[in-house]
Amino acid sequence: MFDIQENLLSWVIFLPIAGIGILLALEAVGRIFMSRRLSDRSWRAAGMGFALGNFGLSLLVWQRFDPTDGGLQLVEHSAWLPDLGIQYYVGVDGISLFLVVMTGFLLPITLLASWTDIASRVKQYVFFMLCLQTGMMGAFLSMNLFLFYLFWELMLIPMYFIIGIWGGPRKLYATLKFFIYTMVGSLLMLVGLLVVYYLNAQQFGFLNFDYIGHGGASGIIDTVIPTAGAPWWQTQFWLFLVFGLAFAVKVPMFPFHTWLPDAHVEAPTPGSAILAGVLLKLGTYGFIRFAMPLFPEAAVELSGLVFALGVTGIIYGALVAMIQQDIKKLVAYSSVSHLGFVMIGLFAMNLQGLEGAILQMVNHGVSTGALFILVGMIYERRHVREISEFGGLAKVMPVFATFFLIATLSSIGLPMLNGFVGEFLILLGTFAAAPWVAVLATTGVILSAIYMLWMYRRVFFGPVTNNANRGLLDLDTRERIVAVALTLPMFWIGIYPASFLRPMDAAVSELMRTMEQRGANIAAHNGGQSALASLPAETSERVSWLRDKDHASEAAE
Amino acid sequence: MKAPDLDLAAIAPLCAVALGAVLIPLLDVLLGRTKTFLSRPVTEAWAGTVMSLATTGVLLVALVMCFDAAGSAPRVFNRDHPMILMDGMTNFLNIVILIGSLLTALASGKFLADLSINRGEYYALLLAAVLGMMLLVAATDLMMLFVGLELMSIPVYAMAGFRRDSLRSNESALKYFLVGSFASAILLYGIALIYGATGTLSLREIGARFDVDDPVLLIGSGLLLVGLAFKIATVPFHQWAPDVYEGAPTTVSGLMATTVKVAAFAALIRVFRMAFGSIDELLYAALWVMAVLTMTVGNLMAIIQQNTKRMLAYSSVAHTGYLLVGILVGTQVGISAVLFYLLAYTFMTLGAFGVVAVLAQAGQERERIEDLAGLANSRMFLAVVMTICMVSLAGIPGTAGFMGKFYIFRAAVEQAFATGSSSLIWLAVIGVLNSAVSLVYYLRVPMVMFMREPEPGQEPDRSGTFEGLVLAVCAVAVILLGIWPEDLNLILTRVDVLHWASVASAAP
Repeated sequence: MFDIQENLLSWVIFLPIAGIGILLALEAVGRIFMSRRLSDRSWRAAGMGFALGNFGLSLLVWQRFDPTDGGLQLVEHSAWLPDLGIQYYVGVDGISLFLVVMTGFLLPITLLASWTDIASRVKQYVFFMLCLQTGMMGAFLSMNLFLFYLFWELMLIPMYFIIGIWGGPRKLYATLKFFIYTMVGSLLMLVGLLVVYYLNAQQFGFLNFDYIGHGGASGIIDTVIPTAGAPWWQTQFWLFLVFGLAFAVKVPMFPFHTWLPDAHVEAPTPGSAILAGVLLKLGTYGFIRFAMPLFPEAAVELSGLVFALGVTGIIYGALVAMIQQDIKKLVAYSSVSHLGFVMIGLFAMNLQGLEGAILQMVNHGVSTGALFILVGMIYERRHVREISEFGGLAKVMPVFATFFLIATLSSIGLPMLNGFVGEFLILLGTFAAAPWVAVLATTGVILSAIYMLWMYRRVFFGPVTNNANRGLLDLDTRERIVAVALTLPMFWIGIYPASFLRPMDAAVSELMRTMEQRGANIAAHNGGQSALASLPAETSERVSWLRDKDHASEAAE
Repeated sequence: MKAPDLDLAAIAPLCAVALGAVLIPLLDVLLGRTKTFLSRPVTEAWAGTVMSLATTGVLLVALVMCFDAAGSAPRVFNRDHPMILMDGMTNFLNIVILIGSLLTALASGKFLADLSINRGEYYALLLAAVLGMMLLVAATDLMMLFVGLELMSIPVYAMAGFRRDSLRSNESALKYFLVGSFASAILLYGIALIYGATGTLSLREIGARFDVDDPVLLIGSGLLLVGLAFKIATVPFHQWAPDVYEGAPTTVSGLMATTVKVAAFAALIRVFRMAFGSIDELLYAALWVMAVLTMTVGNLMAIIQQNTKRMLAYSSVAHTGYLLVGILVGTQVGISAVLFYLLAYTFMTLGAFGVVAVLAQAGQERERIEDLAGLANSRMFLAVVMTICMVSLAGIPGTAGFMGKFYIFRAAVEQAFATGSSSLIWLAVIGVLNSAVSLVYYLRVPMVMFMREPEPGQEPDRSGTFEGLVLAVCAVAVILLGIWPEDLNLILTRVDVLHWASVASAAP
């Protein structure tokens, strides 16, 4: 039961919360028997230790992951409430692998970045951050829909407290808005989930929440969901809308994005970084994992709507970002824009689009996480974030300026950095499916270059006009470690994306095949790529320069 | 004339409580007289603790008896006239009621002393009310139902006004008494009409002779429904609840919001399942509208409350609405969901009222939501318990409240599949949207506790051992029922709660 090799994913999920348990137990023992408390310092250090352990375990998942297998790996399955078909069922595949690794990566980074920033109520801070980690990991790895729903909602609570306790002046409003927006969507999804659950029970004769059948049994994914000829609430169209709403709020897709700027601006730096880096990804992950394969025909039917909202989000987010006075708000709106790209990539429903979207989720997590953390560093020094307060920082803080530039360029999508690969694949895939959408989305790339570089110029170049900026200290060792750590994956993904794309291949093909088998004519939708027809040959058609040679030759054989 | 065929063993838990209700006042007198026997006088607080522990003991004995009877075949007290039925459902709800009142009794000692209303009658009244509740739960006859209802209500009227020097407590008692008597009268009139139409008071017989076309019977059942609706506080018969809960001493409010409601719900379930077996369209529609109104009005009104007890009162109205969904579903799955929900609801609501009760000090209750500001700094334990209860009431996964809602809405969807009608789907959709609305006020409490600075001048007070114990039990139960609802190891006896709840509801 406690064997790391056997139960690797459970270790990944529960190590943070087990760490909390240990710390609380030590605290209790200390208070009762030695009448002294653990210091804030030791909580912070221990929390960091557990976060690093968590990251190490997620790397171990990557190391043990078999890229040729498109199905679930490292599966654990045991009964929880078996009468209701609720099992403890976790597994990882090419879709969730890098989201898990990224989640593991961001926690120690944010803890390190907030080492001095969060000075009050440190124990509670460590407590909520580690709880949050368990919730996020659980949501990415759960393969039982009930379990998924549990983690999906549970992680809102720590985030609610993180924003509400350590947030800015309007934190109470922002945190409540964040919570209620997300909950309205997910509660409606609960009803949809129950409908799918009973459709499944009707067809297979037993209650089951397992998403992909375990050990040859049927799963929710095998349910035939009608498109017509059934009561309206049993049809794909409505169920897709209900699931889609829950995920769209989380993404957030235009027009459900209004909670995001509020939450980001008020949240403390680590809260923003995790929110942008991981929580938003759960929305897009929900689409690719659940909404699209479960209701493929409705997904194809409604892809026009998603394209329209996605492109609107890209352009609208970019335009609003352009006029922001507050750097953090600018980055927040750039998230709306970037996630629009992810959405259109997903609904292109071809290999390039889907892989580009998954990669872009990771990219956005790293780049935007980095931007929020870097903005946090300057905020810690000056306690303002208005662009007009700064100017000429490149002279005062050259190291900081360099790292900020790398993050900025990565967010824009400069070749050799991570953002480029994702956006390029997405545009390629979208162009095959809907050329006009790709054309419109490309303007988003241009706009993002404008607002990011303009912001960078105003903050870092020119003379130092504000005297308060003159004496600012450049990054210290701790901050440099954070910045370097965040920069490494940007270069890695940008220069050698194959190590990330390869493990996705099999799973994404598998996903497309599932959608086709479930009745969606995705070949007609996405420009001719059918997973059923062209699976062996399809690798060579793809942008082969993005892959390593071994893999190309492997596919050729 | 042959001797009546009585089964006293079947109603042993009721007898234990009845005996306790008679003996507890004697203990009170005895404690008052100890001065003469002992050289030093008995302190007020000490006497209060003894009384509270003795009451708890009585309830514990009854509880153990109920656990003992768990899973055995249904028994009736008088085989010639089956008016008291001890079946699985009775037993399950008896346990819920006994746990609720036991926790209340245990928490009352210090609370009453803090408000200087430490008098022995309180515990005697409590036991009498519990006896009424247990009778109500077991009643399968309209006469017994009425007797149980009155035996439950009258002591609670007195308990609501237990702070004799407080105007609000008096108002609360008077209001509760007037509305309660009014409801009883309506109920009694309904019973009379039903008796007139069918010639019997037995619920099973009424069910057999139910004729949908008989207007007298329909009016009678409508009146019966309204009478019960007053007791469980459904909209539009809910207006009394906030005023009464606010004015009554907090432990009594907790009791009214939980066990009293549980008992009244049991009566509703019995009446619906046994007498109105085939619910006709009209009653169904009336109940459907009532459920929607109750959820919506309860939640919306709770948002604007500034007083924690009033907020909890409206929250309890809203939960009544969710429970009505289960009754509307009416299947075994639906009823067992209701039973489970009642258990979950009892723990989370008692925990919330318990925290408010603990905050009372120096003769003053601190019951505004603002009074909770900064509680996480001064009294972390209370803040954590309150947060767990609020999160559970809001229905966040991992808590009993979520499992309860999940079971109820699952039953609704299942029945919608069986009948193919979308009215139950709408009910589920309205239910979950209401849960989202409820977040606004439930989350405000942890917000005030964790994210606001405390008002200056509030001295942190120590909570009593027993109060702390009660709160801990509530919090732990809420989490355990949320994670292992199926096999909760309840006090030594391994009771498969959910399975048991479903078996319990299988009996008529």
